Formats: sequence, C-alpha cells, structure tokens
Amino acid sequence: MSEREQLFRRLSAACGGRVPTAGEPLPGSDAGAPEGGLVARFADTFAAAGGVLLRGPVEEALSDLGELLRGEGVSALFCPEDDEAAREIAEALVPFGPFHLTTGAEVRGGSAAVTAGFRTAEAAISETGTIVETSAGGKTLLPGLIADVHVSIVPAGSVVARMEEALASFTPDPPRNISFLTGPSKTGDIEQTLTVGAHGPKKAIAFLLPP
Amino acid sequence: MGPSGSIPVSLFFTCLADAFSPGVCHATVEVLERFGATVRVPLSQTCCGQPAFNSGNRKEARAMARKFLRSFPDDGPIVTPSGSCAAMVKHGYPVLFRDEPRMLARARAVGERIYELSQFLVDVLGVTDPGSDFSGKVTYHDSCHLRRGLGVVEAPRKLLRAVPGVEFVEMEESDRCCGFGGVFSLKYPQISCRMTERKVERILATGASYVTSGDLGCLLNIGGLISRIGYPVKAIHLAEILAGGAGGGPPGAAADAKKGGG
Amino acid sequence: MELHANAFGRNARKALLDKSLQEALGRTTGRFLAHRDAAVAAFPEFEATRERASRIKGDVLDHLDTYLARFVEAAERRGAIVHVARDAPEAREIAARIARDEGVTLAVKSKSMASEEISFNEALQEAGVTVVESDLGEFIIQLAGEAPSHIIAPAVHKTRQEVSRLFERHLGEPRTDSIPELVGMARRHLRSKFLSAGMGVSGGNFLVADTGSVVLVTNEGNGRMGTILPRVHLAVVGIEKVIPRMADLPTFLRLLPRSASGQAISSYVSILTGTRSAGDPEGPERMHILLLDCGRSAILEGKYREILKCVRCAACLNVCPVYQSVGGHAYGWVYSGPIGAVLTPLLVGLPEAAALPDASTLCGACADVCPVKIPLPDFLLELRSDAREQGLKTPGEIAAMKGYAGVMKRAGLLEALERIAGVLGQFFTKGKGIAGLPYPLSGWTERRDFPAAAVQPFRKQWKIKRGVRR
Repeated sequence: MSEREQLFRRLSAACGGRVPTAGEPLPGSDAGAPEGGLVARFADTFAAAGGVLLRGPVEEALSDLGELLRGEGVSALFCPEDDEAAREIAEALVPFGPFHLTTGAEVRGGSAAVTAGFRTAEAAISETGTIVETSAGGKTLLPGLIADVHVSIVPAGSVVARMEEALASFTPDPPRNISFLTGPSKTGDIEQTLTVGAHGPKKAIAFLLPP
Repeated sequence: MGPSGSIPVSLFFTCLADAFSPGVCHATVEVLERFGATVRVPLSQTCCGQPAFNSGNRKEARAMARKFLRSFPDDGPIVTPSGSCAAMVKHGYPVLFRDEPRMLARARAVGERIYELSQFLVDVLGVTDPGSDFSGKVTYHDSCHLRRGLGVVEAPRKLLRAVPGVEFVEMEESDRCCGFGGVFSLKYPQISCRMTERKVERILATGASYVTSGDLGCLLNIGGLISRIGYPVKAIHLAEILAGGAGGGPPGAAADAKKGGG
Repeated sequence: MELHANAFGRNARKALLDKSLQEALGRTTGRFLAHRDAAVAAFPEFEATRERASRIKGDVLDHLDTYLARFVEAAERRGAIVHVARDAPEAREIAARIARDEGVTLAVKSKSMASEEISFNEALQEAGVTVVESDLGEFIIQLAGEAPSHIIAPAVHKTRQEVSRLFERHLGEPRTDSIPELVGMARRHLRSKFLSAGMGVSGGNFLVADTGSVVLVTNEGNGRMGTILPRVHLAVVGIEKVIPRMADLPTFLRLLPRSASGQAISSYVSILTGTRSAGDPEGPERMHILLLDCGRSAILEGKYREILKCVRCAACLNVCPVYQSVGGHAYGWVYSGPIGAVLTPLLVGLPEAAALPDASTLCGACADVCPVKIPLPDFLLELRSDAREQGLKTPGEIAAMKGYAGVMKRAGLLEALERIAGVLGQFFTKGKGIAGLPYPLSGWTERRDFPAAAVQPFRKQWKIKRGVRR
C-alpha cells in the first residue's frame, strides 16, 4: 500500500467514517456592508495599513503622484503591456519626474534603478484596505512584486465590502495566484521594530479612478 | 448590609489556611455570620487534592476528592476563602471522576453549590458593604483560578471599594500570574521567582501598603518574597480585610491592620 | 531540529541570566501583546469569529479524511504533485528527491515551522542544494547557525548590533546601528536569490480543500517572490492545515494576523493553486506539495486532537509568563510556549519531553487568547497525568504524593502533624518566617520566606472556640 493510502486509512479510522454535513449555522461574520460607503472606507483602511491614496482630478493627482515618486528616488516606471489604464497613467507621468519607462522584464533582469510598478487592481477590499491582483487571464504580477513603489490603479467600481466577495469572484476555479496586497511590505524581525520595506515594495500607492 | 435570615453554609477552610493562617478561617466565619449565615464547619475535611491533581497524580487526588465529598454531604452552599480550591472542586473533580458515573454526578452536584467567599457574598447574599473597619491603601491581585477558573473579577473589587477605610488602587497586570502555581514554585523555582518579582514590582508601583487576594497560596508566595527583601508592603487575605478588627493572618499582617495599617 | 526538551530546567536557568535575551523578550512579547490587545478591542466581532473558527476547525478534524482527500484531488487536478510523508526521514528523502528530479541547485525558502520539524534544510544541503532562508528573521538565524526562538519572530532574541555583526561577517556589509539599513542589506542580498533560484520553498498557513490551494500569510513579500518567480514551487505543510472552503478563509484571516502581531490583515496573502497556466508571464511550471503526517494522525485518534486546530499565531507564547521569562530556545524544539509544551511531547513522545508540560503554572492566559479556543491548560494537566501513568515521575515525587495523600485521608492525623509543626515552628522561628527548608522545599526558600505553621491549626482553634469535640 502506498504511503498515501496508509495515511488515509489511518485518518479514516480516526474519523470514524463520518461524512461532513451542513450542520448548524456558524456564529459571526455574515453581516452586511459597513456604513459610510465602500470607497470612503477603503480610503481609511488603506491609509491605516500604511498606504497612500490619491484621487481627484487626474491632472492634480498626477502631480502629487510625481512628487511622491520623486521623493522615493524613483527614476523608472513600468507597467503591464496589456494594462491600458496603467499604461496611460505611467506615460502621462513621465514629464513629472522626469522618469523613463522600462519593462518588467528589464527590472526582473536585475536593473539597479529605483522603480515604480503600475497595475490596475482587479478588486479592492474596503474591510481591510486590500488591493487584489491575480494571474487570471495571463496578467503579470511584477509591478506589485519587484518594484520599489507599487502604484495600484483602482477603478471606483472595483471596490467591494469584504474578503468573501473578492474571493467569490475567483472561485470555484481560481487562477494560479490570487494576491491580497495591503500596504507596503514590512518586517519587525529586528528588535521587534517595525520597518517598512522588506522584500516587497517599500511604498504602496492607490490611484483611485473616478466612476 | 445584605439581607439577613438564617442561611446554613458549610465552611471549607482549606489545608493551607488551617495550617498557616487560621486567622483567614476565623475571618471567613465572621464575615459570613455578619450577613446572616449559620456556619457549619465539618471537621473531617482535609484537602481538596489540588497539589496532587495539578501535578498529574490523579490516583492520590481522587482519594482526597472522595474524602472531600464525604465531608460535605449536606445540601446547601459550601463557601471557601480560596478561589483555587473552589475551582478544583468545580472543574477538577469532574475530570477526576469522568470514568465513574456515580461519583461524577455527585461531584457535579457539589460543584454547583461551592463558592469562593467574595463570590458568595456578592452574588448570593447580595452584600454591597462588608461592614469592615479596616483601613489602609490596598491593591488587589487577581489569582488565576479565581479570575479565569471561576470568572470572579468584580466581586472582590466591589467589596474592597465599599470599605470606608480602604483606599483601593488597581495595579498594572493585576491578572498576571504571581508564579506560585503550586508545585511549579518547587519544580522551577527560578522562573517562579522571576514571575513573583514582576508581580511585586507592580505592587510597589501602586504605593499600596497592602496586597490582597482571594488565594492564600498566592499571598504566601508574594508575601514570602516581600518579607525576604523587606519591602514595606504586607500580604493580607481578602477575608481578613472584609472581617476587619482582629484577623490573625500571616505573621504581623492582621496586627498591623488593627493599628490601621500603613 | 535536534531535540533538547528535557533540558528545559537547565536551559531556563541559563535564559533567566542572559541579560540581552531578557531585554529582547521583554520588548518583544510586550509589544506583540499590546498590539494584539488593541487589534482585538477594535474588532467587535472577535469573539464570534473565534467561535466560528474553532467550529470550522472542529469540523475539519471530525472529517479530515474527507477534506484532505478533496484537497489532494483538487490540487492534482490543477497540476500539483502531492506527496505524503509519514515521518521526518521519509519527508527528507522526498524533499531531496524532488530537488534532484527537478535539477535544483539553489532553493529560496520562506518561513515554515513544519520544515523545521523535519530538518528540511539539512536534507536538501546533503543533496547538494543550497538553501537560502528569505524571511528576514530566518535569514538572520541561518547566518548565525541557530534555531528559531519564536514561531513568528524567529530572531526575537537578537539585538541590532548582533545582526550587524552577522551581516558584516557573512555578507561583507559595513557595520551600522540603523535597522532600516540592515533590512535594506538583506533586501539587496536576497533579491538576486529570488531571481535566480530554481525552487521556491514555502510552508502553508492553510490548505483550501475545495480548490486545492495553498495559502501564505506574510508581511515581507518574500513568500510571494519565492512562489512566483522560480520554476518550481515546493510547499511543505502539515496535514492538519486544511480548511473546507475558500469561503472559510476570511474567518481565519480575521484572526491570525490580529492574534499574531495585532494587524487587521498582513501585508500579503497569497492564494496559490496548481501550476502556471499557459500564457501566464510568471508562476511555477512545477508545483509539489509535501504533506506531513509526522505524528499528526496519531494525535487525531486521541484525546488531544483539538491541538491540531492550531494556526501557529503564537499568541499563547506572547501572553505566557513562563515563555516571557525564558524565551523559546529553552523549550528545546521547534515549538515553544504553551503550544510547544503540549505539541512537542505529542509529536516526539512524552518520555523525550516530559519536562515541558510541567513548565506552566496553569494560569490559563493562553486559553484566553487562543483564536481557535484550544483548551491548552486542560491538555497540560492531562499530559502530567499521562507522565505518571507512563512511569515518568521520580520515585521521590510519587512517595511524597502518597505520603501527602496518606495524611490527608485522616483529619486526626493531619491535625496531629499540624500541631507538631506548629510547636516546632514556634520553637525554631519564634513566629517569624522560615528562611531555609530542606529539598524539595528549598526551591521556595532560596529567595522567599516560608511562614511558620500556626501554633494551633484552625480546626483545633475551632473546637476550642465552639466547645465542640469533633
């Protein structure tokens, strides 16, 4: 008998051949949407997680974004080739640096520049201030993975209330990678002192697109 | 003052208080009688068996549990000045007798009617003012079994705050274990002492002259460290504060209390 | 990992005298606790969510055969190769074989306590694979050649100066006092590893049965890097980590980060299902899931099965006054604190770890904070009883217990002994405390006074007072 068969034999013996049933309803957590509007709540929770939210007329927002990126020492911008909204914003941002455009492949190849990666979020969760990115449809995850600054383009209509809703749209057959990204990367591993910017991006920016 | 009327109550005075602090037992009787209880003291009682149970020696613990159940055959509440002993009977006995249905039923029935002193005074007798003449600045240590085992948090505080002469001050980490843990203090004495030191630091930070609690084990532990170093705090049992007047607790405590404390 | 659980007493004493460790422990556990308490206070549904999580995990344990089978089937349908290891030697053999078959020479690893159980890194290194820990805390202790001392903060015991010395010696970096600079050094050094490693190794916080997904809950971003960039992904996970449905995941996500470090959610949650699809620009071509039994199915059969609900948040460590005093290494194996005191004996055998269940005052603080409501104090008590039954107690303790019970059987005998003790106590101490007692009570009197017995025990005083005779 294979190791797997032996394991399941042991488990079945321990579980007594019971079959899961629906059972009683579980406590907690089926509450409806929180008050205040999804986008407003997302703005709060995203900021609480250390993210920076930009909104308002595109021109002003671009200027603010340019300033933020310059402050981080960013020189290169990249975005997915097939991501229209991200491309538009990255291209429009070039003069505010000045920045230059690069590709994910170059950054992955080991470019030394300080980079900002742009990508449209597939969803945003107001409960937690989370950006959702997945590999569905062959989309790249590099902007939120290897850039020094991650800029998420968040369409107002993509904001959902709770994690359950975000997950429901990707089940039953999830893509290889569903990523919940909440704020910049961080670590407290040295002397329990919180440091922002570990292996992932050091700064998380959400650029909210009007409806 | 609570409602009067003659409630028969059995006193479970605990082996620790019996041997080391009889004043605690007398104080408990005094307070109960003050509020109309008629106190029976079954003298065949010895020990609830906690030290044996907590160290995994269930055979010996069962022997003591049987004796305990035999010593308290009557109906009516059993009151004890020890949170850990009450918790032992309530929660430990059903574990000890889980394979003996008859004893289990008996243990459960007794568990239903056993109370720690402050719990009994406030929740059963409805006492709001203990009528004590004790005076002094007092801080309170939540013993683990009284707080987490029995869920008694407010009753001792309500009673202490109601004593006119008591200046009550909360310590930080009042519910952090003092490090006694019964046999733990003998098995791992250095860790135990470290925990006691931290508790004493919190007590000293309040500026209180007295630390009190519903568990004598904790008080002997804390008091033992205090007296070795010579800190200006006395460990005194809750029952003695509630009784006021002459208490008779660990050497020195009640006598000073009579003089009005520090 | 090597096992030294029965040296707990000696290691604890050493730890108490280690000033730098004591400082680190005070700072760390205090902070974790404060953050946890604040996060819980800000989340009114916490108690209801705990109950929900405990019940979901209970359902999983009741039907682990069904749910695990579902997981395996779903994962394989998505291209994962699922392996089962009964014990650590088998797990090491499988891990080495996977690395060999996949032609891996460099593996980058994110945090996995289960992999510590089986000494995974050594197994791969013996097979000629370089394994680089990428979780900052694990990276630090890997350089130091040490074992992790806390479930979620492995380098809790190291000061920044110690870290800087390690980075100077092993990475050629200049000395610094700045923590952000130290983190930046690690980021630079590890970035190239992520980009060039043939295999990323992860643990698994949760296994989702209905989709075959492995879920990672992290803050640093290294877990993502290692499971997106390399060609091969190997997840090493205990069989008990299953949850039934994707829809159950948020319940646990609401509890785990709050309990661990006081965050409403961690920076990253990665839900990883199978291999990359054709056309995906990144993602592993090959995915292996190594499921570990390693003693878990045996626990499932017995009275301790609820311990398998553990989600490895370490809240019980942070709140435990014993852990706070001695730190993780004293517990002598992978798991420390209250969870370690129960899980280690259950996984390695009680005779090898009988010292651990005694390392507790049974204060109950751990049970208060456990997000899945494991009755840890009850299990500690049960293990102590098991130790007696398995003949692991010293003859001295048993004799003392029998003696004590023998006295307590007869109130008359007890009273007689109390009166003798009372007279002796008065004679030797004049009513003051006792400063020195013989073993085993000497443990007490090293640093504390012990009261003298009352001249007359209460029971005698009562008889006199009330004029009764019995």
